[in-house]
Amino acid sequence: MPTTVEPSTFRMVDFDAGEIAALTDELARKVGLDASVEIRVEVDETTPLGRTDLVSVDPVHIRTESGSFEDPKKIRRFSPESATDVLGRYLLRASDRRQGTFGDAPADEDLSVPQRTAWEVYAVGRMARMGYPVRRQRWLYAFRNRHGFTDDADGAFEQLWGGEDLSWSDIDRLSEATAATNPGPLGR
Amino acid sequence: MKKLISPDELARDDRFERADMMDRIQDPRNGSEAANRGNGRLRPDRADAPDSARALMHGIFVGEIQALEGAGRTCYDFEVGKGDDDVPFELKLDMARQCWDEARHCEISVKLSEWMGTEIGEFGENAFLFQAACNPDPVLRLTGVNRALEGLAIDVFNTMKEFGDLAGDPVLEFCEDWMLADEVTHVKMGSDWLRKLTVNDKERQKRALEFQRVVDKLFSFGGFRGEDDDNPVHLARRFRELAGFDDVEMEEIAELSREARAEVEEQSRLARAANETATAGA
Repeated sequence: MPTTVEPSTFRMVDFDAGEIAALTDELARKVGLDASVEIRVEVDETTPLGRTDLVSVDPVHIRTESGSFEDPKKIRRFSPESATDVLGRYLLRASDRRQGTFGDAPADEDLSVPQRTAWEVYAVGRMARMGYPVRRQRWLYAFRNRHGFTDDADGAFEQLWGGEDLSWSDIDRLSEATAATNPGPLGR
Repeated sequence: MKKLISPDELARDDRFERADMMDRIQDPRNGSEAANRGNGRLRPDRADAPDSARALMHGIFVGEIQALEGAGRTCYDFEVGKGDDDVPFELKLDMARQCWDEARHCEISVKLSEWMGTEIGEFGENAFLFQAACNPDPVLRLTGVNRALEGLAIDVFNTMKEFGDLAGDPVLEFCEDWMLADEVTHVKMGSDWLRKLTVNDKERQKRALEFQRVVDKLFSFGGFRGEDDDNPVHLARRFRELAGFDDVEMEEIAELSREARAEVEEQSRLARAANETATAGA
């Protein structure tokens, strides 16, 4: 099933729908989504912000704002690296959600910030093993921000980053247990 | 060696990419409703907080490089003397000390970027700080850089320090606190030299303060810096007071920030209306 990208022609940003579709197809294959799965990528080119939502998993529908695919050095230019980072994480989340072991995961809008971050760490760790250039330290920093700057948090991060075949309950347990030991603000 | 170099002549390796502020201002996407969805104060519970903090830290890093270059040029561009184009030797000493501080801030910023997972040159570099450091009048230059832009640095460092505190990040909080202390000193230098060099020239003092107002308004970034809850960076009144700002001056900066924000909101409203008209026509 071919990937569809909306809009088919961009007017406000220098993006190419065909390039986004090809990138999505390649990522979908690598994350293990069946070729028959319909994928729709909807880009809101009217805003420079970068929010992304997984609207549905059947079909896989990813809605994003143009800032998420933008080159952080060149305004309005497409960045394959930025797009890979975002699409990879959301396709992996869609792939996870299509499995029974994630049936008990809350809807995206009900995920807490620590839960969402923990799931993203699990996704990006897998992307690293697929050979994509990811920055581990960026995700460690994000994880520490939500779970504490502690050895416990770093230990949980390692388990998520190196995890294979984790279930939602594995991710939630690691996130919840670590967030509970977060000492919180320094209070200086 | 050449005096009064332009921002285009700054030495950078190929990791850096210059960003033109006009591209950002003229971005046709600015008019959308979503573009004006305020993210508010930088807090750890914001979904985008770690990446926003990384981007802001990179902005601080390139600002430190330019502050080093600006203070270095001020040491070199002006001769010691009593004319309007000259400066006292003690001013050069202050600028040399500032170079020392800024070089240390560059090193700290590189380490902080590594800590936060950011690569050098990951984001575009805006040269606005150095542009203010190109003013040929030493008093206007010091007022624009040391009082307006280093004043903005006080607000930004205080915001980052608060963010580090709330997130429980001891490295960020500690580094920002130390750099903040230096920024207070730099702003105080600007305040002191403005007063000393214009004590008998009120017209020059007036021009310098006007230049500072222009820089302050421009670099309120249409609501980036202000005193409302949805301003990402807040005026650090206590630290500004330590740096020689009085209440009237701080009120004036707060008002300039509100004006800048209102202007950007009006521009966005007009751009939105133009987009809607264009869409309806198509």
